[in-house]
Amino acid sequence: MHYDLIVIGMGLSGLMAAKTAAEMGKKVLIIGKGLGTLSIFSNTIDLLGTIPPTMKMKDGLSQWVHDHPEHPYGKVGLEKIEEALSSFNSFFPPPYTFQSKNDANSLVPTGAGTFRLTYLIPSTMMKGINLKEKKTLIIGFEGYKDFYARRLADLLNCRGITLSLSENPQTEMTAAALARRMEKPSLRDFIGAEVKKEIRDEELIGFPAVLGVNDPMGVRKDIEKKIGASIFEIPGLPPSIPGMRIFNRFKAKLIQKGGNFLSGYSVSKAIPRKNHFEKIEVFHPPVTNSYSADHFILATGRFIGGGLLADRERIVEPLFNLPVSYIGSQEEWFGKSFFAQHSIHGYGILTDASLRPIDENGKPIFENVWVAGTILSGHHCVNEKSREGIEITTGYWAARNAMKL
Amino acid sequence: MNQKTWPKTNADVCIRCANCMAVCPVSRVTPLFPGPKHAGPGAERFRKPGDPSVDKWIDLCIGCHLCDLACSSGVPISELNLMAKAKYLDEKGRPLRDWLLTHTYLFSRMASFLSIITNFLLKNRMVKWLADHLLDIDKRRELPAYQSPTFRQWFREHPPKGERKVAYFYGCYINTNEVEVGKAMVQVLEANGFEVFLPPQECCGLPMLGNGDFKGAREMGLKNVPSLLETIRSGTEMIYSSTSCGHMIRHEYNRLLNIPGSEEVAEHLFDLFEFLKNLNEKGDLKVQFIELPIKVAYFAPCHLRSLGIGLPALEILRLIPRLEIENIEADCCGLGGTFGFKREKYEISQEIGKDLKEAIDKLKPDVVLTDCEGCRMQIRHLTGLNVLHPIQILRKALKEPAG
Amino acid sequence: MNLKTEVLIIGGGATGVGIARDLSLRGIPSLLIEKGDFLSGASGRNHGLFHSGARYVVSDPEAARECITENRILRKIVPHCIEETDGLFVSLPEDDLDFRDRFIQACQEITIPAHLLSRDETLSLEPELHPDLLSSVKVPDGAIDPFELVLGNAKDAEDHGAKFLLHTEITSLLLEGNRIKSVLAKDLVGGDEYSIETSYLINATGAWADHFLKRIGLRIGVALSKGSMLITNQRFTQRVINRCRPPSDGDIIVPNHTVSILGTTSVRSEEVEQFEITPEEITLLIKETSRMIPAIEGCRFIRAYAGIRPLFQSGEKGDDRAISRGFALIDHGKRDGIKNLITITGGKLVTYRLMAEKTSDLLCQKMGVDVSCTTHIKPLPGAEKSSGLKNRLAAIGQEETLCDCELVQKAEVEAVLKEGKLKNLQDILHRTRLAKGTCQGAFCVYRLLGVLHDLGMVKVDSNKVLKGFLEERWKGIRPVLWGSALKEEELIEGIYKGIFNL
Repeated sequence: MHYDLIVIGMGLSGLMAAKTAAEMGKKVLIIGKGLGTLSIFSNTIDLLGTIPPTMKMKDGLSQWVHDHPEHPYGKVGLEKIEEALSSFNSFFPPPYTFQSKNDANSLVPTGAGTFRLTYLIPSTMMKGINLKEKKTLIIGFEGYKDFYARRLADLLNCRGITLSLSENPQTEMTAAALARRMEKPSLRDFIGAEVKKEIRDEELIGFPAVLGVNDPMGVRKDIEKKIGASIFEIPGLPPSIPGMRIFNRFKAKLIQKGGNFLSGYSVSKAIPRKNHFEKIEVFHPPVTNSYSADHFILATGRFIGGGLLADRERIVEPLFNLPVSYIGSQEEWFGKSFFAQHSIHGYGILTDASLRPIDENGKPIFENVWVAGTILSGHHCVNEKSREGIEITTGYWAARNAMKL
Repeated sequence: MNQKTWPKTNADVCIRCANCMAVCPVSRVTPLFPGPKHAGPGAERFRKPGDPSVDKWIDLCIGCHLCDLACSSGVPISELNLMAKAKYLDEKGRPLRDWLLTHTYLFSRMASFLSIITNFLLKNRMVKWLADHLLDIDKRRELPAYQSPTFRQWFREHPPKGERKVAYFYGCYINTNEVEVGKAMVQVLEANGFEVFLPPQECCGLPMLGNGDFKGAREMGLKNVPSLLETIRSGTEMIYSSTSCGHMIRHEYNRLLNIPGSEEVAEHLFDLFEFLKNLNEKGDLKVQFIELPIKVAYFAPCHLRSLGIGLPALEILRLIPRLEIENIEADCCGLGGTFGFKREKYEISQEIGKDLKEAIDKLKPDVVLTDCEGCRMQIRHLTGLNVLHPIQILRKALKEPAG
Repeated sequence: MNLKTEVLIIGGGATGVGIARDLSLRGIPSLLIEKGDFLSGASGRNHGLFHSGARYVVSDPEAARECITENRILRKIVPHCIEETDGLFVSLPEDDLDFRDRFIQACQEITIPAHLLSRDETLSLEPELHPDLLSSVKVPDGAIDPFELVLGNAKDAEDHGAKFLLHTEITSLLLEGNRIKSVLAKDLVGGDEYSIETSYLINATGAWADHFLKRIGLRIGVALSKGSMLITNQRFTQRVINRCRPPSDGDIIVPNHTVSILGTTSVRSEEVEQFEITPEEITLLIKETSRMIPAIEGCRFIRAYAGIRPLFQSGEKGDDRAISRGFALIDHGKRDGIKNLITITGGKLVTYRLMAEKTSDLLCQKMGVDVSCTTHIKPLPGAEKSSGLKNRLAAIGQEETLCDCELVQKAEVEAVLKEGKLKNLQDILHRTRLAKGTCQGAFCVYRLLGVLHDLGMVKVDSNKVLKGFLEERWKGIRPVLWGSALKEEELIEGIYKGIFNL
């Protein structure tokens, strides 16, 4: 099987790359183990959380790009970031859209009772940015142990109640189970009635981010009607239901467009021929399947999915053996404090402006390999709050650049 | 256990990220099953050799493998569950019902020969009530009708034609309960110039494996592999039309059951549509298709997903002019092979299937297509729609219908 | 606040708490003060090894005899704190088989049951051991849970009249002539100040013995030896594994619930409080223990920690009353002229009861009271109940669990919380198995804080507590952060620094 493009990695950068190439009419295979980190970390689209809400994102980003040429944003440039974001945005037409408030960062409340600066917010979370200004009631569910309304209420200075959903209060409910039940009218009727009884003068009601996987806006609308107040979602511990929504949309559209979507298998080998890669092999015991392509995009992420591996001395990229830009050894890679910025997170694959991996002289190592996502060097996406922005931007452009050739 | 493919690092690589919990169809609908994170790598840290099994919820794992596919660390969760299930049932004992459900191959030929009586009994309310009360086989579940003649019997009368040979592992269900699928397969392959050959074969053993009966499953594998190996070694590639049989022979014979020769068989065993796709890529797919202006909805069975070959049926079906195809966005159908026949699991099975039903209802297709006979049974049961194997639509679309 | 007591015990480790219990059973009430939670010293930072004594049988037969005697007693009085795993002393090709033979003989001489097993027998019992091993010797080692042990002793002591002040630090000692009259102390959490008058004072501060005695210008010469340990994510063996050679570094692997604890080292330390495991120690531990269990080479570690052992150097002036070279019981009346002061230090966890007995005997002698010890026959309450991995496993799906890694149920935690008297998060964590599994508390502590709010028990900013916890957790994880552990940390950082922006 021969493809125009093979994307390795199921995260947002891989999905974005595959979607972009498929929309260009190319024959695409996306292959990866797992679900990427959409279902773990992603709920809103973080672009650059260091920009205060008083500044327009464009201005803040422009300054950042100027000051950080080695950062993935610095490599691609401001206009390219905007184009990629726009492509992502148009993939989510109403009613479930991703919007910013006044083209700037906003503070969204989190499941730890803190606030996070983020850029594009899905419709089901948008109203939460008004939490500080409006009287809010937070709703938790007995048995859903990853969300505690009372603690959030104590920390966010509002009120919190816990609803009991079953006869047996000890029964646990997973986020997926709760999200599924939300899509049934019977639970929404119950919630509507109960919350209506409890509500005093609150205008905003906060829920854990479980308002359904398939039709979150339908769920929200129905509950709002039943309660008679605005509601919003609060992101929490994984699994992230909002992240699953994004993943499902990409998957459905890719398959619809004829893309080959191979989720669950990891590439075991990439076969080079001089400075050109020919094919990848996937060992699915006991058979080995191979896939060839004109171009490959490596979007395997950092350590979680095995995009990078480290022992006490070295950090390696195991698939294409691309050089990883690190210095020192395990002792130096981590600060003494958990909250320090650990140098290891800034290490990754060095690329040129078109996202091709380069050697120590700055020359592209392979003709047909491109790199996208958090595996790139030069960023601290967790501290900066830039994860999804980097994934979307570099996924989009790696595909555009590869497919132009 | 094949040590080469079974590293003892499973407990170490699970990072508790709960990706698996997001996709498990069983824990999504019932709190009785704690979910793959706990049932698999979580519980594994507590299972000491020599301790009796206490995993009484373990047989609620439906064996869909979706957790394996979602795991970012590659923990083979469903295999961990299966081994725990086997141990639990070995200690607790297996009911007669489980033996009956997993050994249908022993009576299927007789059931087919006496199909009129068999089908009468399987539909009879009294019989179903008895089966429910005595054996815990849920009476709400429609039991599949038997056909006569069997596929093999039909094939014996069928004049062979074609230049190149291809072998077919048809599987129990096609043989005695859905002969038309086998026929359609033969006709499409013959239209492409292949002579179909049926190697001696028995039940692949998946129902036994799924019920934790490693011994029984291994016996079936040891029966099948020699004749399959002989076929392969004579230079003939082999195909399967049931994704469940395919998954069993291609992967589990080697990975879990360590059957000698299974590795070699696996290298020459292909999904029917994978085979057609390969032909198409080489420009060897000879047939022309007529227009088929209907709407079909395609459902990818769990075992197809775990085969890791993508969705080849979709690719081939897209060659049929004017055929409107939608891929159904739902994961497990809920039948789980023998799982949904059991009284204590029927409701869970149906609750899982509800999501699939809703997705199908939204699409309003004329026909639903899926490669797995279990899914076909379940979708018929859930929706009452016409459900076919995709090869049957392909057969319908042949320009020059074969004899 | 002014308090008065007959006996003041300083130090809430196994020894101090053991003394409180022993005295309470003799009808002598005491007050115990500890500046942290129970088990802040070596009692809470050891291997969890329930010695049979075999380890010392060649080098120190007297200490070994003490161990096997106590081993037998503890099996009867605290069976619920002990996992009777047995131990294997493994001989590898480079080990001296003469030593092994002397070892077996020495065990037999002091009645430690010792059985020689062949290579095949050994590997069939423990398939994770190195296939090149020559033989092993089976002895009655086991695994002990120091927390269950000490907390159980404390509860029984309290039920019999003992009192405890935790998180309370001595600020000064007041002498009157040749006796200690009183101490001043401060509650480090609540801020309350105490003035405690006492007739007798027992210094059971373990490694802090000299630190404490310095306040009144005394010294007994306690050397500090750091021992470091690594915890693996999975339990490699069912039995304790020892190396059959003269005791050295890295030759013990102790199974503990769902994990294995590898140890240990012995590094002289000047510090009793600021110490940490070093990369060299980690390298040494992995190298040595993987000789016995090859899979350790590439395995995942979930925590690294160290503890300080008090070693009493006999040979200093007036070291009488030392029962063995194992522990030191110092009567400061004879030695330094302070008549109502006793110090007990050194020893091993497994001989805590004996140390407590000897100390209590000495105290009774000073008090002129003639009551004998009963701790060798009176079991701890709770001795009948048994926990065990399979029991926790059986409860999956029945009850809501807070800790998914260690299967700790919410009801269990709520029961601990309702007992009251817990001053901080670590107090809660010490009394349950929360945060002891694969993710080291990354999910369950978040949930625990939620539960605490639901119970209305939180008076502080719980995110400050959460951040404090994450920092404390980091100390144990950072030294072993490579391989799969990195995947876990990426997850945890992404949640707490990313999603939650703490």
